[in-house]
Amino acid sequence: MMRQALREAAVLFFFAAALGSLYTASTGKGMFADTAGVSSPLSGNHAPVLIPLDEARGFFDSGEALFIDARHEFDYKLGHIKGAMNIPLQELDERKELISAIAKDKLLIIYCDGAECNSSIELSSKLFQSGYSNVRIFFGGWREWEAAGLPIAQSQD
Amino acid sequence: MKDLLSNPYLSLLTRAFLGSFFIVISIDKIADPLAFAQSVGNYKLLPLPAVLVIATVLPWLELLAGLAILFGVVQRGGSLLLCLMLGVFTLAVVLALFRGLDISCGCFTQDPSAGKIGWMKVAENGSLFLLSLFLLFSKPGKFTLESFIRETADTR
Repeated sequence: MMRQALREAAVLFFFAAALGSLYTASTGKGMFADTAGVSSPLSGNHAPVLIPLDEARGFFDSGEALFIDARHEFDYKLGHIKGAMNIPLQELDERKELISAIAKDKLLIIYCDGAECNSSIELSSKLFQSGYSNVRIFFGGWREWEAAGLPIAQSQD
Repeated sequence: MKDLLSNPYLSLLTRAFLGSFFIVISIDKIADPLAFAQSVGNYKLLPLPAVLVIATVLPWLELLAGLAILFGVVQRGGSLLLCLMLGVFTLAVVLALFRGLDISCGCFTQDPSAGKIGWMKVAENGSLFLLSLFLLFSKPGKFTLESFIRETADTR
């Protein structure tokens, strides 16, 4: 009985892996295909992908990216990544003028709290849909950046 | 116990509940793999590439296992997968609780306001694990697609 269950489970696993890979590759939702592009993010027209702390730090050090803080203004004022712009997800419409000043091909790195938030993902998706071709999501967010002792600021730079 | 495991109505009821449940919860994850990846990443147990692979495969695994159980096709394989997945999910939630992580579960929905992890979540997952275990060891009853196909073939 157990052997039969294992055999059936293996078949289901195979189909799940195939369907998942095909689906994410065809929809461009930032899984397999896009993680390969993380190492050269400025060269292509990528859907938002997740980047880890060391990637985010590399972009910060090179100064080529604009960091966007998707959290509430209150949290942003308490502390944010140095040089980051605050565009709370809920206030996207009110900040359209601010956003329109950003070049469409600029590398944008979106982050939020990191521990439990989805606003970085939603904001990056909205920016990507509105024509920003080079959007990345800093996976660990504010908490990971702060814990690593990297440059921060407490008011808008 | 043997009576319970061979009761076709109990098996049908469990299959209907568990199968529909996993089909429904997989849709949210399939629709938004990045949000699911973030939920998995929040547990801080795996490196990013592994998180992305899980976010790609696991929702489809839930969907296929749910369909297999609901329709009674490769039911044992589906039940075994659910047992394994629920065992790992429960372990991940328990580890996160012991490490003091204040995160959303990401289990049933990707909405971060849907509730944080807690011992209630462990109980929920544990209950689903027991139901999957029941299906794994129960005798596939007569109300399955497999038995329907077999009966149809026999009558010809």
